[in-house]
Amino acid sequence: MNRTKTLLIRVCTVLVLAAIAVLMYFLGRGHTVYFDNKKLEYNGTTYDTPYKVEVYVGGERIAKLYDRERGATTCIGANFSMELVVTQEKGGSEQTFSYSFKLPYSMDGIVYNLPGLLAGLPEEAIMSEFVSTVEEVPADEEVVTDEFGMTMDGMDESADPDSAAAG
Amino acid sequence: MNNKNTNKESVSFGKKVLSFVQNNSVPLMFVLICIICIPISGFSVSYLVNEIVTRMGRNIFLILCLLFPIMAGMGLNFGMTLGAMAGEIALIFVADWQVWGIPGVVLAMILSIPFSVLLGMLCGKLLNMSKGREMITSYIISFFINGVYQLIVLYMMGPVIPIKHFSLKLPRGYGIRNTVSLLNMRQCVDNLLAVNIGGVKIPVLTFIIIALFCLFIVWFRKTKLGQDMRAVGQDMEVARDAGIKVERTRIISIVMSTVFSGIGMIIYLQNMGNIATYSSHSQIGMFCIAALLVGGASVDRASIGNVFLGVILFHTMFIVAPSAGAKITGDSMIGEYFRVFVSYAVITVALIMYETKKRKQKSRLGQQLAREQLEEEKK
Repeated sequence: MNRTKTLLIRVCTVLVLAAIAVLMYFLGRGHTVYFDNKKLEYNGTTYDTPYKVEVYVGGERIAKLYDRERGATTCIGANFSMELVVTQEKGGSEQTFSYSFKLPYSMDGIVYNLPGLLAGLPEEAIMSEFVSTVEEVPADEEVVTDEFGMTMDGMDESADPDSAAAG
Repeated sequence: MNNKNTNKESVSFGKKVLSFVQNNSVPLMFVLICIICIPISGFSVSYLVNEIVTRMGRNIFLILCLLFPIMAGMGLNFGMTLGAMAGEIALIFVADWQVWGIPGVVLAMILSIPFSVLLGMLCGKLLNMSKGREMITSYIISFFINGVYQLIVLYMMGPVIPIKHFSLKLPRGYGIRNTVSLLNMRQCVDNLLAVNIGGVKIPVLTFIIIALFCLFIVWFRKTKLGQDMRAVGQDMEVARDAGIKVERTRIISIVMSTVFSGIGMIIYLQNMGNIATYSSHSQIGMFCIAALLVGGASVDRASIGNVFLGVILFHTMFIVAPSAGAKITGDSMIGEYFRVFVSYAVITVALIMYETKKRKQKSRLGQQLAREQLEEEKK
């Protein structure tokens, strides 16, 4: 009886931990969301760019985009909301639009075309996966360590590590 | 009559002071070093306090992990490096899956547990085979597992274990880069609920986690398993006679230490904001042990108070030594070397003191036994 109880508790603990892990995976999935203020061609129609689009996420302006400009932000989780303040022509009045998306788990970087979005086009027309054309080479030498960060040959590689660690 | 009493009192007070100094020689030495170095270093009080608070949040959890094996009489667990490696592997996966922020940290903690349990069980079984030589064995095991870790991370991650992101992989296409960025989870635990008091950032959530861990340790000591561990730590043979499964208890203590050190390493690395893939873990055991010993712990006795005192003193010395060294000698490297050799020296001195004490106690017991035998023969 006691053994069964112990086993049951252990199995339950593992299951609870696994469930939390899965939940964390979905809650914490990070995305980089890009906004393109670029002309879009879709089904033979051209959607022109407004003069200026300001992108607000969580009440904070993260981009001010003119023609052929791109902005970006990061987002944790699948739900993404933003507000666009659009100025169609120079000196014209501003209009505010709110949008909410469900970001796909399979994509790290997602590009939204703003003229298409403002025109109310379907998702497949305005959304694409961001593919970097520049090969990213992270600087391997910029290691932030404290005094304990030794290199493989045992030498301390940080000259002033504390300020970086505390930053 | 009164004079005699006063004399006796002063002698006993002197003895008490002497024994206090003898028992706390290492912390007192560090207090002295800090008192001398702090004014010379020229750092402001707020800077020093800020640095110490940051380092407390970063290191205390890791050092607390060392208490379990000490409780079970297995000495200082140099094998905590194994848990640190498990934590790093979990963080590499989480970084590759692009799970950010607090959920990323929690996921990494959960993910590190199975790796830590496996490594802890291996370490515990090996330590059971080398009873009485646990510390040196765990030290060598950490080198052995470091080799396995490098094999996995350098050669198997990519072709065998799927790693998707090229930013993590070496340019050759497999193996993990020397640095893994944790920018998207950097100080996320520290910054949540953080409070700024007089220019000092207090990572409240990190301290809550540490406080909960301290409470867990206090509670654990009172449980049946905790009592068993203490019994095993005091005398294995007596514990075995009392029906305690000595080997199992010792393995559990190492597994607990490894699991918590994995979690501690994740707290440590989220504070740093990146992983030095092949070196983050290598010295962590050594410096955690040094900090614990500076706090007045010994190989067979350590408390939560020792951990806190050790972190404060050891890290104060680490902060002020380079600057003080530079001001005294004109070369900051002197201070750098000083703090490194001091940390190794502390471990050496503590180990020597422990052995000396043990031998003295043994010889005292032997002499007492001989005296009693002589008295019996006379009768």
